[in-house]
This record gives sequence, structure tokens and C-alpha cells, in this order.
Amino acid sequence: MSRKKILLVDDSSTILMMEKFILRNGPYELVTAMNGEEGVRKAAEHLPDLILLDVIMPKMGGFEACRLIRNAEETKSIPIIMVTTRGEAANVEAGWANGCTDYVTKPINSIELLAKVRNFLDDGACQ
Amino acid sequence: MSTEEKNRAYITVVREELQQYTQGLLRENEKLRAMATTLESDKRRLELEIIEARVVLQQKEELRRAAETFEAARMETLMQLEKARHDCGVATMELERLRARFDDVEQENEKYAAQYHQIELHSSNLSNLYVASYQLHASVERDAVLSTIQEIVVNLIGSEEVAIFEFHEEAGEFRLASSFGVEKSRLKNFKAGSGPIGSRLLSGEVFVNDHVAGGEDKLTACVPLRIGDRVTGAILVFRLLEHKQSLQPVDHELFELLGIHASTALYCANLHEATALAVH
Repeated sequence: MSRKKILLVDDSSTILMMEKFILRNGPYELVTAMNGEEGVRKAAEHLPDLILLDVIMPKMGGFEACRLIRNAEETKSIPIIMVTTRGEAANVEAGWANGCTDYVTKPINSIELLAKVRNFLDDGACQ
Repeated sequence: MSTEEKNRAYITVVREELQQYTQGLLRENEKLRAMATTLESDKRRLELEIIEARVVLQQKEELRRAAETFEAARMETLMQLEKARHDCGVATMELERLRARFDDVEQENEKYAAQYHQIELHSSNLSNLYVASYQLHASVERDAVLSTIQEIVVNLIGSEEVAIFEFHEEAGEFRLASSFGVEKSRLKNFKAGSGPIGSRLLSGEVFVNDHVAGGEDKLTACVPLRIGDRVTGAILVFRLLEHKQSLQPVDHELFELLGIHASTALYCANLHEATALAVH
């Protein structure tokens, strides 16, 4: 069975490590990027099955990266989960407006994140 | 009267009597013919009645046979019904047994689900602690260590208001080393043992205000940085993120971990910086 590919985009190495820990037991191939610009580039290069995208990052923020990924023909249908410290309505709505599919708030709840990842990848892994 | 006349009279009489007799015979014949007709009619009617009676008999025979067949079927059905009743009883008992088993399995399932949830939670908490510890010791650069402490507070604990103080022994005071999300004017240096924070830090114990509910200017946690019994600094955590209602058990463990590992990481970073300065 081919492993699903997930692109993790966050400027915080702590968060990247956390996400890797949470997803380590699943049948996933993990690709990381440290800013929005790198995230957009790696999304086009690797064509992942799912993207976890931080909102506030240097060079290019998560919302802009999300919009660019949505606008590109080859990446427009990849589900994007925004990872944000701000869970208030305005911030979430900005995420929807820029084309994100779902969002999780920091600190990341591993059970919630795993459930959402499994839901999008529909693989039933680690259940 | 002559003989001839007598004979003629006799003949006339005989003829008349013969005529009467003949007429009588004819009448009798008529009667007999009528009777024969009646009898013929009766005979035909009786023959019809016999045919009808035979049909009735045949129908009766068929009905008797049908009744016998029906009775046999009824008996068979009764037997089947009795068997079905018995099977139903057995099935009901089996169903009850399966229901009880299902309830047991369901309870077991719930128990395992709860255990699985606990293990997931435990695993997640351990991951948090491991990541925090790993990240704190991933660099000996002072700025990187301070940045990692902030990241841990922001991303693993859930507060965007944090200040890190270092204790300067020669001055006997805690001085601001780094902060995030808090106005500098709110963060004054303070003497060890003075004020509510300074006096709390002397104990070396983590102070946590579990009922802070996100109030501005309120201190959520004060984490003394210590190496052995010596307090080398403090991490002050203020308002939690809006969607974080309260601190969780893992946050308390993270504070304990930060108290020890952040202090040693900072100590190493300071040593590294001093060594580098001395070398250059």
C-alpha cells in the first residue's frame, strides 16, 4: 500500500517535531517546510495528499501560501489544515476565505489532529 | 219373433256389447297408456335423481378426502408449530445469551476505548515533554535557547505572553532576558525575595494560578529556573490563548521540565557564550 504524503509547514521546529511525533505511527511520508514560500514550492514539487499549514511564518504567511496553493492547477484540490494559535472567528474565517479545508488550534491536541488527518486521508490508520 | 229376427237381435246385442266392451278396452288402454307415460316420466325423473345422488355422493367423497388431507395438513402444521415454538424458545435463549455477551463486549469495548484514549493522551503528553526537552538541548546558542523556551510556552502550553528572567547574583536581582507578547514596561527587574513573585521564587517551587481565566496582567504561572537548589532565573507566563480554558496536567509537567531543563540549557548557552568571548 502506498504511503500517503503529508506536507508539514511551520517555522517552529518545536511544532514540526510535535507533528512528526503525532503522525509517526501512521502510514505517512512526511515532508517539511519552514516557511510559506518553501511550503508552496514543496507542495508543487511533492504533490502531497494533505498539507498542515501554520498561519504566522516568515517570508510568506500561511494565508498567502494557502491562496497560492489553491490557485495552482496541480495543487488546488489538496486538503489544507491550518494550524493556528488563534481560534477566534475572524481568524478562522480568514482561513476559509483563503481556501483552507479545516483548522486546528495550538497547542495541538494530538487526538484531534490525528482524527482530522485520518478523516481527510480516509485510511483508517492506527485505529 | 222369428229365429232370424232373434238372431239379428242377438247379433245386434252382441255387437253393441262388443262395441261397449271394445270402448271399455279402449278406455282402459288409454288409462294404461297414460299410466305408462307417467311411469316413463317417473323413471326418467328417478334416473336423474340417481345421477344427482351419484354426483352428491362423489362430491361427498371428494369432501371427505379433502377433509382427510386438510386434517393431515393441520396435524403437520401443528407439529411444525410445536417445533417452531421449541426452536423459538431455544432461539430466544440464544438471543438472551448473545445480548448478554454483546453487553459484555460493549462494556469491554468501552473500557478498551477509554484505555486507548488514556494511552493516546499519555503518549501525547510524553511527546510534548520529549519535544520540549529535545528542543531545549538542541542548541547552545543563547538566543536559540531563549527562542525555544518561548516556542514551548506558545506552542505547547498555549500562551502568547511570556517573559524570561535571569538571576544576577552580584546584583541579587532578576533581570529580563527575553519576552514575547508582553509590553516591556510591564516587566520590571525585581529583587530576590521581594514582592509577590520574588518571594515565591525563593521556594524554588512552580507557582500556578489555575483560576486565572485569561485575565490581562494576571500571572498564570511562575516557573523558577533552577540548577540543583539554586534558582537561576524564572519564566513568567501570563494570559493563556483565548481558546485555552485552563491549564492541563501536562502543562504542570511541562513547567517542571522547563524549570530544570531550560535552566541548564540557558546555563550551557551562557557558558558557551562566555567561552567564545574569551577565545576571541
